[in-house]
Amino acid sequence: MTPEKNNKTIDTILLIIFVAFLLGINIFLFSGKYLHFDTQGVGIVVAAFLTLAMYSFLYKDNPLFKIAEHIFVGIGMGMGVVLTWLQVIKPLLYKPLIRHAIFDNTPGTPDYILIVPMILGIFMFARLYGKTSWLSRWSFAFIVGGGAGIGIPVIINSLILKQLEPSLQPIFVDWVVTWQSINILLILVGTISVLIYFFFSLPHKGTIGGISRIGIWFLMISFGATFGYTVMGRMSLIIQRIQFLLTDWLHIIK
Amino acid sequence: MIKFLLNIDRRIIFILVLLALIIPLKSQIFNMPVKPTSTVEKIYKKIESLSQGSIFLLSSDYDPQSRAELYPMHIALLRHCFRKNIKVISMTHWIYGVGIAEEALKKASAEYNKKDGEDYVFLGWKPGFAMLIIGMGQDLYSAYPTDYYGKNTRDIPMLKNVASLRDIDYMIDLAAGATIEPWIIYGSDVYKFEMGAGCTAISAPDMYPFMQTKQLNGLLGGMKGAADYETLLEKGTLVGENLTLEEKTNLAREAMRPLTAVHLLIIILVIMCNILYLLTREKK
Amino acid sequence: MNCHYARSGLITLIIVLLAFPLAVLAQDKPSLMPPQDFIAFDTPNDDGKSISLIWKASESDREGVYYIIYAATSSKGPWKEQYRVLSTTRFKSDAPQYFGLSKDNEKWHFYEVTDINENPLSITTPTYFKLAVTDGTNTIAFPGIALSMPQGNWFDTSKINVLVFVIVFSFLVMYFISLARKNLNLFIRHIPGLDAIEETIGRATEMGRPILYLNGLLDMSSLSTIASTSILGKVARKVANYDSQIKVPCYDPIVMSVCQEVVKESYLEAGRPDAFKEDNIFFITNDQFAYAAAVDGIIVRHKPAANLYMGYYYAESLLIAETGAVSGAMQIAGTDSITQLPFFITTCDYTLMGEELYAASAYLSREPLQLGSLKGQDFGKGFIILMLVVGTIVSTIGYPFFVNLVRTF
Repeated sequence: MTPEKNNKTIDTILLIIFVAFLLGINIFLFSGKYLHFDTQGVGIVVAAFLTLAMYSFLYKDNPLFKIAEHIFVGIGMGMGVVLTWLQVIKPLLYKPLIRHAIFDNTPGTPDYILIVPMILGIFMFARLYGKTSWLSRWSFAFIVGGGAGIGIPVIINSLILKQLEPSLQPIFVDWVVTWQSINILLILVGTISVLIYFFFSLPHKGTIGGISRIGIWFLMISFGATFGYTVMGRMSLIIQRIQFLLTDWLHIIK
Repeated sequence: MIKFLLNIDRRIIFILVLLALIIPLKSQIFNMPVKPTSTVEKIYKKIESLSQGSIFLLSSDYDPQSRAELYPMHIALLRHCFRKNIKVISMTHWIYGVGIAEEALKKASAEYNKKDGEDYVFLGWKPGFAMLIIGMGQDLYSAYPTDYYGKNTRDIPMLKNVASLRDIDYMIDLAAGATIEPWIIYGSDVYKFEMGAGCTAISAPDMYPFMQTKQLNGLLGGMKGAADYETLLEKGTLVGENLTLEEKTNLAREAMRPLTAVHLLIIILVIMCNILYLLTREKK
Repeated sequence: MNCHYARSGLITLIIVLLAFPLAVLAQDKPSLMPPQDFIAFDTPNDDGKSISLIWKASESDREGVYYIIYAATSSKGPWKEQYRVLSTTRFKSDAPQYFGLSKDNEKWHFYEVTDINENPLSITTPTYFKLAVTDGTNTIAFPGIALSMPQGNWFDTSKINVLVFVIVFSFLVMYFISLARKNLNLFIRHIPGLDAIEETIGRATEMGRPILYLNGLLDMSSLSTIASTSILGKVARKVANYDSQIKVPCYDPIVMSVCQEVVKESYLEAGRPDAFKEDNIFFITNDQFAYAAAVDGIIVRHKPAANLYMGYYYAESLLIAETGAVSGAMQIAGTDSITQLPFFITTCDYTLMGEELYAASAYLSREPLQLGSLKGQDFGKGFIILMLVVGTIVSTIGYPFFVNLVRTF
């Protein structure tokens, strides 16, 4: 038997053991009245199966992961369609406008101004057909033009000027060095060196190269901080899943 | 030995992580005191300083995928507000977040016998994002003619004196994505209300510049932020005040034990890997 | 008798001693002075919903002294007390958005009236105001009446600095775009990650495996997606030349149709329209983690030789890039999503950080719009660096000129 075939056999055995374990444990949970055979009980079992199936990818790609992956993609897509209908199209377009056009006895008056965004929305779909794709540019023009007009002044206000203000503080007060002075200096050096790293009009040689290297150091330290926080974030997600498995499903933790 | 350690099967590390997570969950090992950070304290103190009947806006911009990190702080904030008889307006910019926002509001309001329309309002979800924030800043009743349940916002008693975002006393955005920045630039900076934020751990470092400029008064970063808040909330309980069973069940603090264990494991692994890297580099 | 004089002398002394500190205290507390220069006017820089009232701060302002504002809709009354203002609070200096940063503002009281009797102010008829000062026992009124009517303002002069910045940045970008239209050889520094793209395509061809290209999670209106599709065009052309294969799983249906056009055009330019397969550029889902799971599946099953992640990513970045790293593929990432950069840096062979993504797009496409914008941004950055250096030096010397220049209200 080749090592590859051997591995495959081991994987198949592991898969069968895993499925048998899932079946056995769920039969035990239902028969022992730990879980009730209702929507909540079945829901917990389905969630537990999908959680474990997803984590099985850590071992290697396998049929259980494939099943979970396809269910996930399908549910994501289906839920998106349903929510778009229930939360967007129905309350914001169908009820105030389209319903009036279909049914005669609809109470209230139609909101005709909605015809404009409706047409612009339909134009977005025109992109899917080559000959009419130019129509979508009108919708994009509206989005980009409106977005830029509204966004640029407030972004300059909030993200440039407001951020510049604390960076322009005096480094020393009465020529006395304090922790605050060191903080201000660090922020100043960090901001300038990172800005110079992202300066594309000059080659990174000589002084510019040196300053941009300092910029890289600042960037790497900030990435380290982000990485640390991310470990916490990812572990929080897995802790919540384990809590669910041990508490709601297996009832090991009360 | 070095070669063995460098080529160690990653699945062994996965098992170590799993053990570091499960053992502290089942036992009290790694039970360490939670010392609240100053950024969390600022939010707690701000809500403490609000008088009865103040208006608090909570935008819960996350979906079930980030529930683990943000739901504990969501519940803790609502409990704090309801305990202080602060009126809560809840909303979400995330279409997938409607269910969680409603669930949290119902759970916390039921614990304190708060009534819809009098003590809290749920506005639900609406598209528009930045445009919606601007609309709320100009006229809340036009931006949201009805609440999530279809009630006319002009007729809701709690919203009688809340014509726009200018009438908000404090606001917090719980964000899994990039919603805090738009709330700052289109909301608090323009309509002049004080704002704090809670976010997933991954986004937390990006928010610090906004605290330096005081565009955010405080920050709850990930699970630790939520655990800090739960600690403050418990410390802030008045003598003789009985905590409900739900209040004693602190979602985030329960997660601190496994989090501490797994952080320790990862720190050890990082140090070990770096030593091994340096040793192999020297050999080369 | 002497005793009587002595006793009355002692009493007098005690009275004098007791009275002395009272007299000193009385001297500290100047007698109540009538309010001066009470003026009402439309609040500047607002949307026409309030009236500003100002009056001169007085020497008798102290704790316990209050100003009382009365209002009426007619000059004949009826007058009703509306607000009570503590005399040590509410100065013009509290509202720099209306009155600027002049030091004189501390010498004037200011109150912004938005309603009377809980009703909004009339915008058609004037509202009348009276002012009085009281210390609890005495009350002195300002002798006249002030009146005004709120009016919306077209310009918010407190935001002139924002306007200046918008004009400066817009001018720089437009100037450099026009310059780039005349000269496409504007200098852009070398970006190391770009050289690796050719290497990855060559490697994929040698191995006979496809190249995976992701556009990120934002739609076509995002700058990073535009830059990503622009880079995709250049990559697809090289792929067509090498007769390799490219797979583009998409998160957004419109991005998908744009990518199909871009890749098709690249194959045409390379003279290989027959090799173009539309099905290789496909839509998966617009659910973040479902998309990540599906891409992970593609990486594991199709084993691409190279993965290129260009565009904006969220929390799924590490899930995808880690799977790619484990699969042994050569990986190049480019993103302006700062929070996700650490993960790409640790899992990819090359990473284009932040604006390097736009720069790479401009570098490869040599499109005047992109080149000019990049140059304009560079000079914008230069302007900010200069302001930071000069501004910090000037404010350290003791002149807050630059701080005031960028102050926003």
